[in-house]
Amino acid sequence: MSETRLRTALAVLALIGLGIATYLTVVHYDGGDPICLAGGHGCATVQKSDYAEMAGLPVPVIGLFGYLTLLAAAALPGDRGRILGLFAALVGFGFSIYLTYLELFVIDAICHWCVGSAVVMTLTLIVALTRALRFTGMSPTPAGRMPAAD
Amino acid sequence: MASRKAEKEQRRQARLEAEQAEAGEQRRKKLLTLVGATVLAAVLVVVVLIAVNQSGDSGGGDASSIDADIPVIGTVDSLDQQGLAIGDPAAKVTISEFGDLQCPICKQFSETVVPELLAKSGPVGAGEAQLEFQQFVIIGPESTDAAKAAFAASEQGRYWQFIEIFYANQGTENSGYVTDDFLTGVAEAAGVGDIDAWNQSRADPKWDAILSRTQSDAAKAGFNGTPSVLVTGPGGKKILGSVPDADAIAQAVDDVS
Repeated sequence: MSETRLRTALAVLALIGLGIATYLTVVHYDGGDPICLAGGHGCATVQKSDYAEMAGLPVPVIGLFGYLTLLAAAALPGDRGRILGLFAALVGFGFSIYLTYLELFVIDAICHWCVGSAVVMTLTLIVALTRALRFTGMSPTPAGRMPAAD
Repeated sequence: MASRKAEKEQRRQARLEAEQAEAGEQRRKKLLTLVGATVLAAVLVVVVLIAVNQSGDSGGGDASSIDADIPVIGTVDSLDQQGLAIGDPAAKVTISEFGDLQCPICKQFSETVVPELLAKSGPVGAGEAQLEFQQFVIIGPESTDAAKAAFAASEQGRYWQFIEIFYANQGTENSGYVTDDFLTGVAEAAGVGDIDAWNQSRADPKWDAILSRTQSDAAKAGFNGTPSVLVTGPGGKKILGSVPDADAIAQAVDDVS
């Protein structure tokens, strides 16, 4: 797969994640409950838990920063973009594992939006890792002109 | 002449291959350094994020210093209690909270929503509804011990005092804080007069049947988190699910009255 395709995939995933994080941020500041897509009320439980804020900052806002960083990494050519993407995806994936652990074993409620974000973050890591491992050290090629590496 | 040209071409090929191998080696080194440093930095950042997130987790769970100075206790003391319910026994509507004593969100609910419901302006304080606490044990064995201790307190009319004081002193889930000492401290602070009778009662296997009935009631209502709320009355029932606010509960009480 060409680096251009990987960068496009990264951008698409970051935009999906941005959508989820934006929705959860808006709901947080509105004081309402997120609509649970598959029914149930786990989203509200998670959103109102002790773990939903970090030093006064709602967790969805951290997600917003993360996905914006991934979007910037998708736009950046060369090693800067590759390494920034890998770094953001690793942090996002690691933190998603922790949040999923909290939902399953501490809060005892599942938020489908958070699961969605964790899935997006996992796919993001696969894409960012592939980009970094296959192209780091190679010269950047403008978008749309990258020859296929395979 | 021809062989000299071929030799020159061979040397050129060999030089190109050597240059390519060198470039490949350099790229591998750069890749290892950059990716390795990135992974290390990411792990550090995740550890910091988790530490910051965990720092919001409140303490509690200390058997040696049970805090019984809770504003809502005065209101609880002033209301009737029958079994698991608090409020006017003539009220036609029942608000059922399905909660787990170890659940931190239930603690939050007990500190914010419950006082509003019990206040004179709330549906329970105004005599429109009773509020019952169903022990929906989902967190672990310590929740079962706590639930049975609360049931035993209900036999001495101190169920709601026990619940509120338990929440005020709640520790970290499944950390081993729900000891006999802790439960006894909560019971004493809740005003359970006969601790021997309370100890005998909480060891009674009769509570297992109630706990298992609550599990099936919660499953029927589709509850998968705590606290979840069900409001029943002559006009039917309303399933409010997890963490509704006091206004939503008051509205549901009106709807089923």
